[in-house]
Amino acid sequence: MKTKKWSIALLAVILATVLALAGCGGGGSTEPTGSTDAGEGQGAEGTGSEPSGQTEPSGQNEQVEITLGYYSDAKSDAKMKELIEKFKAKHPNITVKTQSAPYGQFFQKLDTQIAAGQAPDVWLSDGVYVMKYAERGAVRELTDWIENDLNKDDYYGLDFNKDAEGRYWAVPQGIQVGVLFYNKDLFDKAQVPYPTEDWTWEDLKETGAKLTVDAAGKTAEQDGFDSNNVNQFGLTFFSITEGWFPVLKSYGGGVLDETLTKSIVNSPENKQAVEWMVDGMKRGIITDPVDLKSFQSAMAVFPSGSAAMRIGIYSRVLAANEAGLNYDVTLLPKGPDGKRFSPVIANSWVINAKSDDKKAQAAWEWIKFWATEDEVQREWAALGEAVPVKKSVAQSDVFLTQSDKPANRKAFLDSLEFAGTLDSNAVWEEWVGKFNEHAQRAFLGDTTVDEALAAADKDIQAILDTFYQK
Amino acid sequence: MRRKTAAGIIGWTVVLISSLVMLVPFLTTLFNSLKTYKEYTAVPPKWIPETFQWSNYSEVLKLGNFGAYTMNSFIVALLSVAGALLSCSLVGYAFARLRFPLKNALFVMVLGTMMIPPVVIIIPHFIIFNELNLLDTLTPLWVIEWLAQPFGIFLMRQAFMNIPKEYEESAKMEGCNPFQIYWRVCMPMALPTLATLAIFTFMGKWNEILAPVIYLTTNEKYTLPIGILSLGGQWFGNEQYMVAAALLSLLPILAVFLFAEKYFVQNHVSSGIK
Repeated sequence: MKTKKWSIALLAVILATVLALAGCGGGGSTEPTGSTDAGEGQGAEGTGSEPSGQTEPSGQNEQVEITLGYYSDAKSDAKMKELIEKFKAKHPNITVKTQSAPYGQFFQKLDTQIAAGQAPDVWLSDGVYVMKYAERGAVRELTDWIENDLNKDDYYGLDFNKDAEGRYWAVPQGIQVGVLFYNKDLFDKAQVPYPTEDWTWEDLKETGAKLTVDAAGKTAEQDGFDSNNVNQFGLTFFSITEGWFPVLKSYGGGVLDETLTKSIVNSPENKQAVEWMVDGMKRGIITDPVDLKSFQSAMAVFPSGSAAMRIGIYSRVLAANEAGLNYDVTLLPKGPDGKRFSPVIANSWVINAKSDDKKAQAAWEWIKFWATEDEVQREWAALGEAVPVKKSVAQSDVFLTQSDKPANRKAFLDSLEFAGTLDSNAVWEEWVGKFNEHAQRAFLGDTTVDEALAAADKDIQAILDTFYQK
Repeated sequence: MRRKTAAGIIGWTVVLISSLVMLVPFLTTLFNSLKTYKEYTAVPPKWIPETFQWSNYSEVLKLGNFGAYTMNSFIVALLSVAGALLSCSLVGYAFARLRFPLKNALFVMVLGTMMIPPVVIIIPHFIIFNELNLLDTLTPLWVIEWLAQPFGIFLMRQAFMNIPKEYEESAKMEGCNPFQIYWRVCMPMALPTLATLAIFTFMGKWNEILAPVIYLTTNEKYTLPIGILSLGGQWFGNEQYMVAAALLSLLPILAVFLFAEKYFVQNHVSSGIK
């Protein structure tokens, strides 16, 4: 009997040790490999990329194999493979192995691969993630190569991948830029004139009220309108890019200062902007986070014809066309002082910091092929996913008349004149999550705008400090 | 008599309601798979599409490599089931019947490993399979099951412990060695549990998403779940195709369940001893 008690005690100790070891082992094993999620503070010094322009171009006959990673769907995958074949024909000494996956899975896998030192030599990064990889030393600095090989005036968006110190980390693969989408049928039905380029956000709300209809058929302007039972909204409003960020910016506010390490959330400009949003949501004109839940997805509101307007990036054209909507686009409205801002995401090619010089050079050949060849740019533009990176192609009929809807495709190019990134830095995902959390409370009336901004400011600064102040 | 009818009515109502609860989501899925993209996103939703888009199904078979995904899923699931049944029953039998030092301590340790979240060990696993040159093959997905997973060990140990010792004793008297006892006496009597383990393993592997995402990089090597995900457009859902594909991928699971179902109700164990 006694021995049994002892063995139970012994067991308990062993079990505790096993569990403790398992816990440590899991965490510890990711560290030495330079994992992206655990290995903060590798910072800029750990990039391991020598001034890369110095590398001698590899001899034409020397065989190199590179791995190329990209996210795609069935259609874009086929097109990408076609382009890779063309690249191989031009560079017989370079063999390309591809790795592709649907968007979400691609980045899930990528983090594991980076941690294990097995990431592709060159990969397609969502524009908002470039700095996450750059500041953790996972990708190679491209400043010298870009200076030597690319004429900056020929391309859109090279500067969107420049950090606060002026270093370049990536070359855009395709540009997403925000404009105002509007459903012409809904405007016509309400006999309201279409949006113009001179609109302010206040104009948008005023017109939006006429286009917001409740279950009884009353608009937000009429007495007895039920803002809790809206069938058709004036404006879809969703998260950062197609929600609060462009509004904050055009009101003169924002989230981070120009060093991207300090929060400027708690400002009178932001307060004014958020009050505009909260008022719109309270009146039922703008979708609040709860309204969005009744749709298949936040993306589905506009294509389904349940909202008269949306802030949308270029690729939203695809869903709207697929749904057969009668719509057009125009510039995003101005702030109260006439300031304009359009959010931009430059999905970009990056080169693995761990790849040797020969592979990196071959990877750079691919990037150059992508950016400089008119044929590649034209073929990719035909998919209709992104604004072409090369200006000459974007400004040609290939892009401007690619589909008959939206008619005003030039609005996307015009918006690039006053476009800016989403303040993306190493901890972008984290602080966007925090801002959304606090904004949501204000949107739903659970807290005041002042409280929400103060709390968001504090939390975002804490996130920034954890990463940047080591 | 009257009481009986009342009970019958209540019983039938309960059965009817609960089968409706099961059926409605299934029917919704079926109808969704027959819609156009426009109907799929329509607000308010239309339950039944105007014309049934049977072409969604042929489109699914054309898009991607549906045949290859199905084949891969079968290979992974079947090899996993075979591995789990063999390895877990062997280890479970040892824990249930054999005598060896630190038996209980080892068993608790095995159970302890169930507490480790799979996400934590995925990077070490990735590195190991990379060293073994097994990335982008189906092997990492099933080979782990041949190394006896804790849940299966636990399940089989309990099953073997419930088999009366008398069987073993008489087998021993007939001259069976421990392996023969395991294979010829105990395994047949553990069939219901083996079937349960087989179903769990099959379903788990059939639906698994994290491991295939991490290990597989070539489209032709995808298993069904990520194959279905890759049908989705990047910028708009193609949800109608994904739903159709999901329904198609359900069929084999259904077949396995129907085939294994009888083992749930059968029970050899208690019938042999009088």
